[in-house]
Amino acid sequence: MARIVVDPVSRIEGHLRIEANLEGGKLNDAWSSGTMFRGIEMILKGRDPREAWIWAQRICGVCTMVHAIASVRAVEDALKIDVPENAKLVRNLIAGAQMVQDHVVHFYHLHALDWVDVAAALKADPAKTSSLAQSISNCEKSSTTYFKGVQARVKAVVDSGQLSLFASGYWGHPAYTLPPEVNLMAVAHYLEALAWQKDFIRIHAVLGGKNPHPQSFLVGGMSTAMDPDEPAAVITPERIIFMRDLVRGALKFVNDYYIPDVLAIAPLYKDWFTRGEGLGNFLAYGDYSLGDQSDPKTFLFPRGIVMGRDISQVFPVDPHKITESVAHSWYEYSDGSAEGRHPAIGETIPKYSGPKAPFDHLDVDAKYSWLKAPRYDGKPMEVGPLARMVVGYASGKKEIKDSIDGVLKALNAPPTVLFSTLGRIAARALESQLMAKQLEGWVNQLDDNLSHGKTAIFNPVRWDPSSWPNSAAGVGWHEAPRGALGHWVEIEGKTIKNYQAVVPTTWNAGPRDSKGQRGAYEAALLGTPVADPNRPLEILRTIHSFDPCIACAVHVIDAQGREYTIPRIS
Amino acid sequence: MLEAYLEATVLGLGNLVHMDDGAGVHAISLLQMDPRVPHGVVLLDGGTQGLGLLHHISSARRLLVVDAVDVAEPPGTVVRFEGAALRGLPGKASIHQLGFADLMVALELLGESPGEVVVLGVQPESTEWGADLTPAVAAAIPKLVDCVVAELEAWRTQ
Repeated sequence: MARIVVDPVSRIEGHLRIEANLEGGKLNDAWSSGTMFRGIEMILKGRDPREAWIWAQRICGVCTMVHAIASVRAVEDALKIDVPENAKLVRNLIAGAQMVQDHVVHFYHLHALDWVDVAAALKADPAKTSSLAQSISNCEKSSTTYFKGVQARVKAVVDSGQLSLFASGYWGHPAYTLPPEVNLMAVAHYLEALAWQKDFIRIHAVLGGKNPHPQSFLVGGMSTAMDPDEPAAVITPERIIFMRDLVRGALKFVNDYYIPDVLAIAPLYKDWFTRGEGLGNFLAYGDYSLGDQSDPKTFLFPRGIVMGRDISQVFPVDPHKITESVAHSWYEYSDGSAEGRHPAIGETIPKYSGPKAPFDHLDVDAKYSWLKAPRYDGKPMEVGPLARMVVGYASGKKEIKDSIDGVLKALNAPPTVLFSTLGRIAARALESQLMAKQLEGWVNQLDDNLSHGKTAIFNPVRWDPSSWPNSAAGVGWHEAPRGALGHWVEIEGKTIKNYQAVVPTTWNAGPRDSKGQRGAYEAALLGTPVADPNRPLEILRTIHSFDPCIACAVHVIDAQGREYTIPRIS
Repeated sequence: MLEAYLEATVLGLGNLVHMDDGAGVHAISLLQMDPRVPHGVVLLDGGTQGLGLLHHISSARRLLVVDAVDVAEPPGTVVRFEGAALRGLPGKASIHQLGFADLMVALELLGESPGEVVVLGVQPESTEWGADLTPAVAAAIPKLVDCVVAELEAWRTQ
């Protein structure tokens, strides 16, 4: 039996290590280890709860605003603040735009290279690529000349030796089985996606006041004034038009590129419709109200739980049943127990007991990860786009059901193919389309409110700390691009007494619990065939299908050991 | 003031909750209040955003990046990279997988590379969790800011 170690898993945020046992060409066990400690909770203690979101949004390098939203919602819940409809719409737009952009970037820039061979794209026939592209999509950029140009640009970068973005692929691996033309088309769309996401995210500059780190959140609403009598009004008729153009462009990109590309590539890898199944337990907190912003029944993505792949039943979410175990995590609880603890009384007390670097293997019978192991009613759960789509499908949510049934029909496949590595990829694409369709509705609702003089966007009733109770506790829910996110806050004497964030990747990438139950990544790797233990592309395919975000980007540029003199400035 | 106008972007990178990793962002905060910064210069707190930063820097005429750079020198040492030396800065080897080097390649692929790029770095001591800089790096920030100002001044008088 061979032990495969993938460390670090590349093309993700943060640091993740996978150890897996290979026997008879297949993985028979796996362990997922977050190798960096996340200590945001300690930084938030003692701070003013109204500024918690500013710090919380720095938890993650990329999806900053998801933590801002969860944080203000938690404090609003604790202080019982009702937020005006406009603020909810703006939050939906910010988060929804983030979701579409994030999913596109994940598919093309973080995940596609597990399936698409850049080296093979250089061998493609541009004319054949052109006919292929024209057969699957209406997008305008599909001529032979266009694909020739792309080939030349990519070749120039590859020839320069500065592979960078492309450097972490296992080029030439036998598991890359796409025809050269599909590779070239995908690489061309990789570049189109780069250009599109760059323009689209300007919507955050409008709504966030300042991108990349939005400054427009407030406990009680948003600071993006709509009242035309205010000199600093941000949401104006001109900006409504600008945003409408951007969100229409988003839907066009998803329809012209993302969905056709997924549908073109997936059938060429159909083994992966049965690999990477994982736990089969799905949790979604639900989010993104349509219509009445205060009614969870109007959520675009419903709240619920599906157990054991049984889509005939959806269970309600009981927040009291969420716990985090540290039996295999480098933490201790003050009562000495490693058993599950509810996040409202959660603790972050680091206690590293792993091997000293350098080491070959983690001691997986003991503690082996910086991630805790979240559980729902004692069970491990998968969160994310697939969880949202499965819960939505099982709930009979019409938009979701129609969307999934349409794709299953196109692929001539039963719903069970959803529970797979490719199922996760397809769910993410379909969810992007559902969200992109919805964005314009929120823009129109804002427009309507604006033209009817309904401009309230901030509720100041609890802004002054003297209006707060002496102690209060609350929770903020959000469906972030990567899945169910919860922030729990406890306020005492006007400052934060305790803060805990249970983030999507902790659900998915967490280690075993005290009962030895595997986390979602660990379960999803079981049975996966690996052709070459030295180049475990198959492991990356399944792990990347979850869109890992270890949510703690430290990113010092590391120039050590490089062959050049250090240009010191004295 | 017209003659002081300069088309340049200063991009501070780093994570504010990882002590010295946030050095570049701390420098941007100081520069925002610094009267020596010529008009027209865009000061940008880039945090640890990867591709999300593309639209801010695409086709920038001049780009000055301020960041923590681990060069195995004493903490607080300020270093400068430009031209060919930038090619040695890894994307993949950094903890943040889509790092600065990847941004540069992405722009190259799009045909939107900045005209000139300079990186000013400071050697971190600790990038553990914490909202404060270590004393050595905190002491180096004014010098880092001075270096940024000098760099901008050199561009302005080019």
